Amino acid sequence: MSNKFLFTIPKGNKSIDLPIEIKWDFYGRDDSIELYEEEVLVDIIGVAKDFEILRFSHSPYIPNQKTEIKYDFYFYDSSVPVSASTVSTDWVNSYQFPNANPSGFSSTQIYYYEKPFTKSFFKLDFYDTKDTQSQTNYFTIIIPVQQGATESASISPLTPNVNIRKPSYTLDFVGDKEGFFIYWLKNEAFLNIDTFYMSAKFFDGRLGIFVKMMNEPQSSLSDKFIFDNGQYFFNKVVIDYTTKTYEVFDYLNNRIGAGSPIKWYEYINP
Amino acid sequence: MGNRQDIRVILGSLRYKSAPDTTLLFNVPLIQTAKENVEFDRSLDVNLEQVFDNERQNSDIIRPTCKFSLLFQNAYSGFTNYPPFENNLYYLNADSAAALQCLSGATTISWTGVPQYNEFDFIRTDYNVSGYTQPPNEHLTFIPKSASSYNWNFFVSYGYENDYTKPMRATDKKTNIILNWIVGDGIPFIIENTVYNGRNTVSFRCPVKHGMMVGEFVKLSFSYNGTDLFQIDSLGSNTFGSEEYVFNIIDVGYLGGTFSDGVTGTAKRVILNEHEDDTISTYYVRRNKILTDSENAVLVKAGFEQNIFGEKKKYESSGFTPNQVARVSVKEGSQSYTLSFNKDVRVNPIRDNQKRPITELFFTVVYKGFFGWMFGLPDGSGGYHGLKQGWEFNLPLNSVGAPDYWWSNFNSNSDTNIPVGTYTTAQSIPPYVSSSFNGFTYIESLKEGDIIDGDYCEWSDYDQKERTISNIFHKLRFNPFVFKIGGTVANQFGYYYQPHHVLTTRVFSDYIEDGDIRNVVGIPDYSHFSTTKNLFIWRDLYPYGFVDSGGIGVSYPFLNGVHYPFKNIIFRIIPEGTNYNEQTIIADPTIDPCE
Repeated sequence: MSNKFLFTIPKGNKSIDLPIEIKWDFYGRDDSIELYEEEVLVDIIGVAKDFEILRFSHSPYIPNQKTEIKYDFYFYDSSVPVSASTVSTDWVNSYQFPNANPSGFSSTQIYYYEKPFTKSFFKLDFYDTKDTQSQTNYFTIIIPVQQGATESASISPLTPNVNIRKPSYTLDFVGDKEGFFIYWLKNEAFLNIDTFYMSAKFFDGRLGIFVKMMNEPQSSLSDKFIFDNGQYFFNKVVIDYTTKTYEVFDYLNNRIGAGSPIKWYEYINP
Repeated sequence: MGNRQDIRVILGSLRYKSAPDTTLLFNVPLIQTAKENVEFDRSLDVNLEQVFDNERQNSDIIRPTCKFSLLFQNAYSGFTNYPPFENNLYYLNADSAAALQCLSGATTISWTGVPQYNEFDFIRTDYNVSGYTQPPNEHLTFIPKSASSYNWNFFVSYGYENDYTKPMRATDKKTNIILNWIVGDGIPFIIENTVYNGRNTVSFRCPVKHGMMVGEFVKLSFSYNGTDLFQIDSLGSNTFGSEEYVFNIIDVGYLGGTFSDGVTGTAKRVILNEHEDDTISTYYVRRNKILTDSENAVLVKAGFEQNIFGEKKKYESSGFTPNQVARVSVKEGSQSYTLSFNKDVRVNPIRDNQKRPITELFFTVVYKGFFGWMFGLPDGSGGYHGLKQGWEFNLPLNSVGAPDYWWSNFNSNSDTNIPVGTYTTAQSIPPYVSSSFNGFTYIESLKEGDIIDGDYCEWSDYDQKERTISNIFHKLRFNPFVFKIGGTVANQFGYYYQPHHVLTTRVFSDYIEDGDIRNVVGIPDYSHFSTTKNLFIWRDLYPYGFVDSGGIGVSYPFLNGVHYPFKNIIFRIIPEGTNYNEQTIIADPTIDPCE
């Protein structure tokens, strides 16, 4: 304490700060400080998180432990408004909509894989909730139109019919595989989510627009345009981290896609 | 001075009556409990590289991945009258068989061909073949989930223990003399007396690489005048590459028949003759323990990668097939595959076969053959002969061009311990088959914790090093009840493959550390006490990412807190008798500074 202080008779209470320079430290404290350093580093940098992903396959179902999952997409001729007289068969499982002009792809576009067709795709979005106001889209599956079943169609009156693609997909470990697996985080520690809500869209490469799909045809609804979005735009997907599989459920919590196809119908705005 | 409370000073005259006062001196031990505080001691720069390295060294989780380039030659043709098999061959005599069937109307014409590539491929793609994998009259109903596990199973394993008692057998190529030995006895040899560099020499010719050097010693399985330890004088027999297979001792005029031509025995390497117990090598078959289940493997096609040999396929016209159905048949394919696992491997809790930390994992591939083309011969005790096993020196054909006796069903020493399963189908079996036919056989899947045999190895305590003497091979053979290829049924031709493929996860140093436990801290628990040096000796374990000046070390990706080692594997399915030993390595082109 080498500072020089001058004390005078105070008129009131005074206080002085004595700067005490400490030139020593306790032995052994270094060890604990090293540990503390690690804690600080974890606080400011964090520890490595595991972002590895795994593939989840469709859960097997009886008979024969099949694993295939089927999606059928139905389109509507949007030139005709949805009305009370619209019936479910107005939605067709084909890229060639009824009254093909101006809606739908021509059989020639499909058969020759013309760009407007091959640039089209189905998009399955997976959200954490079916509340469209607050949901987060965690991942997306794209199903290319080059996959799927075929139907017979004419591309010329002078030639026999040919087989062209239709929007009916059977996805499995072999054959058409694109869109069969869900790739999601392996470790539940980072995001502990096992339930997703799946919506479907179709990108129409011909018009450059997205077409929204729902799980019931609007014809079956009492009110064609005012309905519970969460119920009709989403199906529930539950993944099992143990078996690395997933299952799809409808809004009544019945498993779907286990044998029979999961159907998606084009939604028509009023 | 934290000890000042412990010191009492008493005036001399007060100690006892008439005691004088004296000058007292005592040493005060100064115990410092404080130290100088150095500026910046409490400042620490956050070094991300250091943080990364700390995390890397602390992690013991491995996610092994590899890519397989599958090389296969579809070599063995045969015939079958089991319709699902016969209708799906790659035909070799389609013209004559079709003509014969047309003229005679018989349904038992032998359509000769080879099984299609799907019977050997890693992932089967014949999921929709009517009459084979789909109704009607199918052999079995194809389960797509099993497409990558019908033919082969994939595992991660590690060297777990050593088997010193495995019987071995090899044939000397020059004399056709059979060498039988127990693996723990060492390296087999046959003696030939020669003149080498102008000196009478006793040459020891081995069917495997002996791994010895000039100046070292060899302990023989027999003795001469009470000694069985001899110094190696030279290597080789004046032929190219023979240094690795022949070692020589000087013939100082040995009498009797101890070192006569044709004498066989076994030898062990000894580095220092005065410390034989400490420097002698041990020999064993390494046994691999399985770390994953077959369901943990994720095998997928490696994008568009194919091997250079391409796909061999042809169109089978409907008029040239037994069931008059046209199709395309594939003889050989070229697809590459990548393998990963949905289960992580933690290496810290496990030790290798030398009780050291894990430095090597193995991709273990085992043929399953669920479609039932292989195996099937009863073993006489209610089971079936399944996969056979042997080592590289067992692969060549014998002197008459047939498979060596080692592979015969009469030799149980070549049996694997992997069980065989069986099943029957709803399809009728033709009479010639059903007379002895009990079902289609396949290899049951291994499970985590199972132990199977591995490579033939040498270990030296003094060197602290393991050497793989010979890789293990599995052999699969057709079930003669359902597909006849001819030859001796009990020892017919087949295909070989190497089941274990090493993946180096860390390396030990190329130098040997030694230390006295009384004055060296940090001697690892896997060290060996050398009676030669009277010290503990060991090899350091290099950190992840460290590669020394000699190029020894590993450096592979570390992310997600996990190590991602990777390996490219050429997986060969080798027809018996072909040149399996492809040792030639094409060196990388030299790049000079101008480039």
